[in-house]
Amino acid sequence: MTEQIIAELESAANIIMAPPNVVANEQRHAAECIFLEFRKTKSPYNICREILEKSQNHYVMFEAAEVIKSAIIREWAFLLDSDKISLRQYLFEYIITHETPPFVKERILQVIVIMVKRASIDDNGRERANLLREVESLIVNSEPQKKILGCNIITHLMQEYATTVKSTDVGLPWEVHFKAKKQFESTDLKRIFQFSIYLLTEVGKAGTPFPENMVVLIGHLLKILERVLTWGYVSPFLPKRLIGIYEAVYEADAAPGLKLPASWADYILNPDMVPLVFQIYWKVRDNEQLAHTALACLVQLATLSGKVMSHDESRLKYLHSYLVAFFNLISNVTIRSRESIGISNIVKKLIIFFISDIPKLPNDIRDTLLDEFTRLTCHFCEGGALEETQVDEEDRNFSDAFDGMMEAWMTILQEFGPAASDSSLFECAKRVFEKYVQSRLAPPEGSRGPQRDHDHGGDEPEESDRKLYRDQLQSIGSFGRAVSKTSMPLMFNLLESRTATLYNSFQEMRSRALTISEAAALDSLYEDLNWLVLIAGHVLCFDADGNETVMIPMEMIRMSSNSYNAGCTVEASLQALRLAENSTTMPADFEKCDAIVRIFFDIMKLCCVEEFAIRSGMKQFLSPELSSTIMWFFRRFCANYLMPVEHYYTELTPTILGCLGVNSEGARLIIGYVLKKIQTNLYYFQSEPQVLQDTVDCFCDLVNCRQKSIHIYDAPALRELLTVCESIEPGVMPQNVLRGMYRGFALCAECLAMEGETPEPLQIYMESVVGSLQRKFHSICTAEGGLASKTEDQSTRAVIVDLLEAFIGLAKGSQIFTSDIIFDFLAPILNEMPNFMSAFNNYHVIVQLILELFGQVAKYTLCYLPHTKSQRLYECALATVQTYTKCNMNRFTVESFAEETTFQDLGLVLDVLTFILSKDCIDLCTSNDEEITVTAADVSLFGLSFIMPLMSMDLLKYPSLCLQYYRLLVLVNDIYPEKVSSLPQDLLQSLLKSIDIGLINFGSDIVQICLDFIQGMASYIFRHKLVNSLLYAAIRPFLKTLIDLTLSRQINSDLITSASTTIYTLICCYQEDYRALVETLLQMQSDPMVRERLAAAFNNLVIGVEWNCERLPKLKFRDNFDKFIANVHGFLLVK
Amino acid sequence: MGDIDDSHFETGDSGASATYPMQCSALRKNGFVMLKGRPCKIVEMSTSKTGKHGHAKVHLVGIDIFSGKKYEDICPSTHNMDVPHVKREDYQLTDISDDGYLSLMSDNGDLREDLKVPEGELGTQLRADYDAGKDILCTVLKSCGEEVVIAVKTNTALDK
Repeated sequence: MTEQIIAELESAANIIMAPPNVVANEQRHAAECIFLEFRKTKSPYNICREILEKSQNHYVMFEAAEVIKSAIIREWAFLLDSDKISLRQYLFEYIITHETPPFVKERILQVIVIMVKRASIDDNGRERANLLREVESLIVNSEPQKKILGCNIITHLMQEYATTVKSTDVGLPWEVHFKAKKQFESTDLKRIFQFSIYLLTEVGKAGTPFPENMVVLIGHLLKILERVLTWGYVSPFLPKRLIGIYEAVYEADAAPGLKLPASWADYILNPDMVPLVFQIYWKVRDNEQLAHTALACLVQLATLSGKVMSHDESRLKYLHSYLVAFFNLISNVTIRSRESIGISNIVKKLIIFFISDIPKLPNDIRDTLLDEFTRLTCHFCEGGALEETQVDEEDRNFSDAFDGMMEAWMTILQEFGPAASDSSLFECAKRVFEKYVQSRLAPPEGSRGPQRDHDHGGDEPEESDRKLYRDQLQSIGSFGRAVSKTSMPLMFNLLESRTATLYNSFQEMRSRALTISEAAALDSLYEDLNWLVLIAGHVLCFDADGNETVMIPMEMIRMSSNSYNAGCTVEASLQALRLAENSTTMPADFEKCDAIVRIFFDIMKLCCVEEFAIRSGMKQFLSPELSSTIMWFFRRFCANYLMPVEHYYTELTPTILGCLGVNSEGARLIIGYVLKKIQTNLYYFQSEPQVLQDTVDCFCDLVNCRQKSIHIYDAPALRELLTVCESIEPGVMPQNVLRGMYRGFALCAECLAMEGETPEPLQIYMESVVGSLQRKFHSICTAEGGLASKTEDQSTRAVIVDLLEAFIGLAKGSQIFTSDIIFDFLAPILNEMPNFMSAFNNYHVIVQLILELFGQVAKYTLCYLPHTKSQRLYECALATVQTYTKCNMNRFTVESFAEETTFQDLGLVLDVLTFILSKDCIDLCTSNDEEITVTAADVSLFGLSFIMPLMSMDLLKYPSLCLQYYRLLVLVNDIYPEKVSSLPQDLLQSLLKSIDIGLINFGSDIVQICLDFIQGMASYIFRHKLVNSLLYAAIRPFLKTLIDLTLSRQINSDLITSASTTIYTLICCYQEDYRALVETLLQMQSDPMVRERLAAAFNNLVIGVEWNCERLPKLKFRDNFDKFIANVHGFLLVK
Repeated sequence: MGDIDDSHFETGDSGASATYPMQCSALRKNGFVMLKGRPCKIVEMSTSKTGKHGHAKVHLVGIDIFSGKKYEDICPSTHNMDVPHVKREDYQLTDISDDGYLSLMSDNGDLREDLKVPEGELGTQLRADYDAGKDILCTVLKSCGEEVVIAVKTNTALDK
C-alpha cells in the first residue's frame, strides 16, 4: 500500500521535474493534482516517515516534509503528547543520521522547530531546553559536519521565534506568537548568546589561518551572534502594527539599536566580550563574508542601551572598553574600502547612543576620539574622491562612509559647539573642511582626480552635483561656518584666483583657438569654479526646501561682527557692491570689505566673465552647469541675506544692515543685478533648459516673500524683465519657463494685496502684467473666420501654447489675497476654453494645457474664491470636460500612442475634478453670505459621469491613473456619502463595478481605498436605516465578496484589519445575509471535524460583539477576526 | 475662377513647405517633429549634456504618425529641427464605393472620394459601423503629402 503511494508520488514528481518538451501539459497537470491531493492527507505522519526512509526522490522527500508541517499546524491540538515527542525525536535523529539535500533538511528543521515552539507554549520551554542541550553537546563533541548541523538548528529555532507578525506558523494568533517570543527571549536566547561567546572564545585562542571547516563554523557562530544582537527586543506595549514594522526592519539589514533589559547585564557587560569580538573581527578581516558579519556585530554593540545601561558607571566603563578596542583596531590597520561603511557606522552609532557620555570620558581618550574621528573622516574623504574618478568602480563605499562620518560630526558640532570656544574641535573642523575643499579642486592645490567621462550616450540625464551631494555639501557648510574665520578667506581667495584665470582664458581665446589641452584645462577650471560656488554657497546659506523662513546663520553674523570690530567698513563693502558689475576696476580698500559681501562680489565677477564671453561671441565656451549653479547661489543668497527682517534677529551688524538691509543702497543694487542676470539668461540661454529652470526658480523665490517683494515690484529692472517676457518670440521657450516667470509676476503681487479690497497699486500692477496677454488672447478670439479657421496655423498655435503657459503660471502664483483679482482676469479666458477645446481637440499639446489650466486654477485659487466665482469656474470646467468627452467618445483610432495620450488626458481631468472637490474640504473664503446651491461634490460627480465611459480596464492598468481614480471615488464618498447614494442607478452601478474590480485586480493601496469606500457606504446605510433602498441592494453583495476574499487569502495580510472592520459594518447592515452565509460555508465542509471547528470559530468570532456600528464593538470584532483568521487559515483548505 | 484656383491649391501638393523649423529645445512632448525624414509624434523627450560642462542636447523618441514605427534622435538643443505641418480633419462619411473608396463630406459641404477604406481593424470597424447605419465621422490625418483615415467616431445624438 505505502509502496504503491510512494511509487505513484515518485512518478508524478518525475513528470513535474521533466523538461517541458518531454511531457504534455495534461500529464503535468495530473501530476500536480496528485501532489495537491497528497497535501490534504489527514494524519500523514506514518506515510511521510516511510517516504523519508524509503524514497530517494528529493522532490517527494521535500513534499513529505511540507505535508508534515501543514499537518502539524492543522492537527496539533488533537495529537497525543507521546506522538509529538516521538515524531520530534524521530525527525531529529533522521537529520543527524541521513544525508539529505539542503532544501529537504531545511524543511525538516523547520518542522522540528515549529513543534518545539508549539510545545514550549504549553510546557514553558522544557522540551526546548532538552533540544538545546542535545544540540550543544552535538556542537561541542561531534565531527565538523554535525557541529554545522547544530548551528543550523539554533538558527532555525531563533528564526521561528523571531517573527510574530508574519510567522509562517499560521495556526496561532499573534498574541501567542508574541508571548512565546518573549519567553524564549528571557530564557534560552541568553543561553544561546553565552554559548556562542564561549565557542568564539575558543576561536579567539586558535591561530590563523583557520582550517577550512573552522571557517565555516565561525561563519555560523557569527551569524548566531548577529542574530542575538539584532533580535527585535521590542516592548510588549507597542501595538502589533509597530512590532510588525520592527520585525520587517530587523530582517532588512538595518536593525534597530540593541536595547536590553537589566537581566542581560551579566551576559553583555562581561568586560572580555567586546574586546573578544574586536579580536575575532581582526582575525577574520581578510574573509569578506565573515568580516561583514563580525562588523555587523560590532556595529550593534555600539548601540547598547536600555535598562542594562542605566547606571552611568557601567555605561562609561562599557564605552571606555569599546573605544579602547576600537582605537586599537583602527590605529593599527589601514581601513579598506569594503569595511569603511561598517567603521563609519560604528562611529555614527557611538555618537547617537553615547553623545552625552563623551564629555565624561578622561581627557586623553576624548582627545584621541576627536583625533581619530578626524583622521578617519579625512581618510574616507580621500578614498571617496578616488572612487569618483574610477570609471569602472561602481562601489561608493568610501563616499558613503564619509557621509556617515559627516552625520556623526553634525551631532558633535551641535552638541559641543559653538565650535570656536573649543580649540581642539576647531582644529578638527578646519582639517576636515580644508581636506574636503582640497578633494574637490584640481591639482596642484587640490587632489581631484581626472573627471569621469560623463558623456555616455545621453540616455540618463545626469543629476547635478548640487543634488547628488546635497547632504554632503550641507554638512560641509556647517563645518565652514564653524571655522568661518579661516574658511571664508580660503573661499574668496580661491574664487578670485580661479575667476581671474577664466577671464584670462577668454581674453586669450579672442585672438586664437584653443588647443586640446587648453580646452581640457578650461573644463577643469569650470569644475573647480562650480565646486567653489557650491561650497561657498553652502557655507554662507542654509539650503532649505519649501517655504520655511531662512535666516542669516548665526555664525555668519558673529563673523561679520568680528570683522567689523577688526576694521571692515560699510563704505568699503558698499564700494565693492557698486563696482560689482564692472569687470575691470577693483574697489578701493577691498581688504576692508565684509567677507559675505566679498563672496557676492566674487560671484558677480564670474557673471561679468560670462557677459564678456557672450559679448565676444564665445557663448559656446561657457559652462551651463556653472551658470545654473550661479543662479542657485543668487537664489540662496537672496533668501538668506537680502533685506533681512530685523526683528527676527537679536543683533545684526552694521555691515549687514548697511549693505543688505531694507532700503539700503546695497540691497537695491543687488536686486538690480539679479533681475538683470535673469533677463540675460532668458535671452541668451534659451537652449539650456536647466539654466532656465534655475533662473525661474531664482526669480520666483526672490519675489515670493512679502517683505522683499514690496521693494521689488516697482524696480525698473522688473519692468524690463516683463518686457523681455512679453517680447519673446512665440514658441521658442522650452516648456515651463514662461509658466514659471508669470508665476513669479503673480507672486510678486501679493505684497500689494489687502484682505477684502483691491488697492489701486495692485490693480495697476496686475494690469501691467496681464495687459499684453489679454490683448494677444483677444486678437486670437476675434480673428477673422473664427477660431476654427486658425487650427492649422502653426504660428497661432505657438501663440496659444505660450499664452496657456502664462495663464497656468498666473494661476500657480495666486495666493490668498490675489486669487480674486487673478481669477477675475482668468474668468473670461476660462469661459472661452470649451471653444478652444473643440477647435484644437486634435492638438494634444493644447488639449492638455487647457486641462492643466483648469486643474491649476482649481488647485490654487478655488479655496479662496467666493461662491459666485467658484460657480463660474465649475461651469467652465464642466463645459470643457464635456467638450473633451464629446470629442473622444465612441472614437476608434489606430493612431499609435493613442492610449498613452488618453491616459495623460484622463489624469489631467481627474486632477481637475479632485482639485474642485477639495473646495468642500478646505474653503478659506471669508465671505459666506451667499447661499451655496451647487457643491463641489456635485460638480465632481457630474464630471465623473462624463469620463466614466472613457475609463477602460486597459487604462486602469496605469497605476498612477488607477490610484488617482480610486482616490477621487473615496474622497467623494468620504465627504458626501449621501451624494453617492442618490446617484442615478447606472452611474451608481458603474461606480460599484469599479470598486468590485478594485478589490481584486490591483495593488493593496487600491484594495484599501475600496474597503474604505464600502465601509463608508455601509455605515451610511446603517446610520440612516436605508433598508429597501437602491443603495442597500447595491452594497449587499460585498459582504459575501469580502468574506470569500479573506478566507481564501486573496486579501493581503496587512489589510486584514481594514477588511475586518469593513466586514463588521456590513454585518451590521445585513445580519440575515451573514447568518445564511455562515450556514452555507458550514454546509460546504464535507469533513465533520472541520465543520465543527469552523462552526466553533464562527461562534467565537461574534462572542461579545454588538451590531450597533459603534467603535468599541467594531474594535472587539477586529480583534476577534484576527484570531479567527489565524485559526481558520490553520485548518481550512481553501483553493 | 478664384474659387477653382483655391481648391486646386488646397488639395494638390501646393509646393508650400511641408515643414517648418523650430529650435530643438522648444519642442514638446505630444508635439510633432521630423525624425529620419518621417513625420513623428514626440512621445518622449529628455535633455542631457555633452559632458559635465557641455551644452544641452535633446533626446527625442518619436512615433511615425502613419506607420507607428519608433524613431529616436539626439541633437544639440540649439539646432533647428523640422516640424511637419500635421492636419487632421473630420469628415462625415456618406458612402463607400464598390471599389473601396470613401465618400467624405467636409464641414463646409465639399465632397471628396479619393481616400480608400483603411486596412486592418479600423477598416473592419468602419465597414461594420457603416453597415449598421451609424452616423460616422472619419478623422483624416494629413502630413508631408500622405493622407489616411486614422480614426472613426460614431456620432451620437449628444454631439449634435
